[in-house]
Amino acid sequence: MNSFLTGDTIVFLLRGLGITLVIALSTIVLSFIFGSVLGIARYTERGIAAKLAALYIDTVRNIPLLLFIIGFRFTLPLPPVISAITAMTVFTSAMVAEIIRGGLNSIPQGQWEAAYSQGFSFAGTLMHVVLPQTVRRIRKPLMGQFVTAIKDTSFCSIIAVKELMYSGTIIMGKYVKSIQVIALYAVIALVYFSVNMLLLGISKKMVKEQS
Amino acid sequence: MYESGGKMKRSVKVLVAGIIMLAAAGSAFAKSDALSKIKKAGVLKVGVKEDVPKFGYLNPSTNKHEGFEIDLAGAIAKKIFGDENKIKFTGVTAKTRGPLLDTGEVDLVLATFTVTDARRKVYDFSDIYFTDAVGIMVKKSSGVASFKDLDGKTIGVAQSATTKKALQEAADKIGIKIKFSEYATYPEIKTALDSGRIDAFSVDQAILLGYMEDSVMLLPERFEEQPYGAAIKKGNTDLLELVNSVVDDMKKSGELDALLKKNGLK
Amino acid sequence: MFELYRWKELFQNWFVFAEGFGITVALSAVSLAAMLILSIVVGLVRCSGNRVLKGIMLAYINFFQNTPLVIQILFMYNVLPRAGIVLSPFACGVFGLSLYTGAFGASIIEAAINAVPKGQKEAAYSQGMDYIQTMFIIVLPQAVRTALPPLANQCVNMIKNSSALAFVAGGDLMYRADSWASDTLYYPQSFIFTGLLYLSLCLPLSKWAERLEKKAVRV
Repeated sequence: MNSFLTGDTIVFLLRGLGITLVIALSTIVLSFIFGSVLGIARYTERGIAAKLAALYIDTVRNIPLLLFIIGFRFTLPLPPVISAITAMTVFTSAMVAEIIRGGLNSIPQGQWEAAYSQGFSFAGTLMHVVLPQTVRRIRKPLMGQFVTAIKDTSFCSIIAVKELMYSGTIIMGKYVKSIQVIALYAVIALVYFSVNMLLLGISKKMVKEQS
Repeated sequence: MYESGGKMKRSVKVLVAGIIMLAAAGSAFAKSDALSKIKKAGVLKVGVKEDVPKFGYLNPSTNKHEGFEIDLAGAIAKKIFGDENKIKFTGVTAKTRGPLLDTGEVDLVLATFTVTDARRKVYDFSDIYFTDAVGIMVKKSSGVASFKDLDGKTIGVAQSATTKKALQEAADKIGIKIKFSEYATYPEIKTALDSGRIDAFSVDQAILLGYMEDSVMLLPERFEEQPYGAAIKKGNTDLLELVNSVVDDMKKSGELDALLKKNGLK
Repeated sequence: MFELYRWKELFQNWFVFAEGFGITVALSAVSLAAMLILSIVVGLVRCSGNRVLKGIMLAYINFFQNTPLVIQILFMYNVLPRAGIVLSPFACGVFGLSLYTGAFGASIIEAAINAVPKGQKEAAYSQGMDYIQTMFIIVLPQAVRTALPPLANQCVNMIKNSSALAFVAGGDLMYRADSWASDTLYYPQSFIFTGLLYLSLCLPLSKWAERLEKKAVRV
């Protein structure tokens, strides 16, 4: 039954997993940075930065990731993996921005007022009072978005980037028996599942250690 | 006042002349600088197939590119740099190979790229280095024995390939109706054939051969000849001339034949 | 790449995109209905007392939330036919989207039900209502109000995810846009136009979700 699990195939799939993780982790880090800037900018509701952030977020958030992935690949002179990371970062940043803005919105006005009465500036309040509380509240949706980033790397298979899904597709093109095909899908699904559960597990552990 | 007027007229003339000269110089550079840019970069960026055995194939065991088009790319790199290894390969599909030329991500595409008049409007092509034809793969168990048996059936093709047009014309000629399902990559089409989603898988025969196994067979008909040429961004005439000279020299010297034999294509 | 004649050709072929748009809308509508029913059913089970059923539902939720939609749809497209179950690409889309988004919806409903004060349930039981009656008459109406904003967001996600049908030659907007662009090589035009079409679908929904959120916060 497992005649497709030869040494070569396993290595090939592992390389695919490697690319998946590279794309996902790059996206997560970059979109967290960029998304935070966007989310805070929109939250402040001051000046042109807030308006631009709002425009970016509202546009990007309402267009499918697949469109960015295909679109960027065919119009920007970037190597395949970089193009995929760029598309995913552009999209995920908008999602992260909204999560952060939601978190900031959930902080009661009273916190701001108390801080101001203590003499904190806007930036100071943000840094020392509001953000720390926000981080705790957004952990869950943020982790959810990062898990989604790992899953969404599978969209990159349509532009023939050799991440896990496309690597599996290539192998599947050579195997015909139903058992083999089912087993291959099962293996790939299991890998995604395990990686995501691992990520969620790590995040829960980090919270426990903090408290 | 008269004097400043005169000075202005003169400086305007100088400015205009300068702009014209710059533009002329610029267009002279624009015409032939692709090759010098490549030499400066030190590598030739080539788009190749990675899933077509004998033409452009990424060997999963060695993780190296191999095939006739790979060897041809090496010969071109040798002509430019004197070293056939100064190449950076980028895997492409029928879908991605054209746009990558436009964006400049690759300098050259050697990827079973069929030359057509419509495509010539968009890209420059070298002299033909191989001619294939479109074939059709069906399941042995389907009972389909020839093209006309595919009346009313669905054929899987790759997006951006010439296959769709070739088959539609052939179907119209003999008066049958066929439907198409498009996919982004070949392995997906083969899998769809295996699971019965489509009744046939069609593409250039060279590519089909990479997917042959016991449960499938090729229909006897061959359609529309597919002449392969190297694709280059429109306007890069210097690179085009160099590639043509390589291909023509190799044809004359018999080197092209030798490469075809080496890769099992003759 | 951005020449005017390319745009002209795009608009002459507007029906290609219109067909795709129609499929996407139909797909989203049907999947939405299925997903809502599924979410409520699973959410209710998750809040019931039955340990076995709760466990099964948890497995469903965990599996579908943590595996890519693409693999689920491709599985239905390429594997099920071998077992004799041949779903059309549209059906694969409906099942895939509702099962996938439903897993998230179920979590949302579960959390919303748990957010309803326990006192409500106890009062209902003391009045002689059983589990089903309690849920449908007392708890769910309140839970739905809490759940509406995140559910609306999931709906937007679902419309975006419907683009996955492009993987299985599903005739949706993404597939058509890609197919047309592949034939003509007019990529920028095709994708900008498609982006605007998706925007027209999703933006109103997102704004509505935002308004719902603001209302909820005030309460």
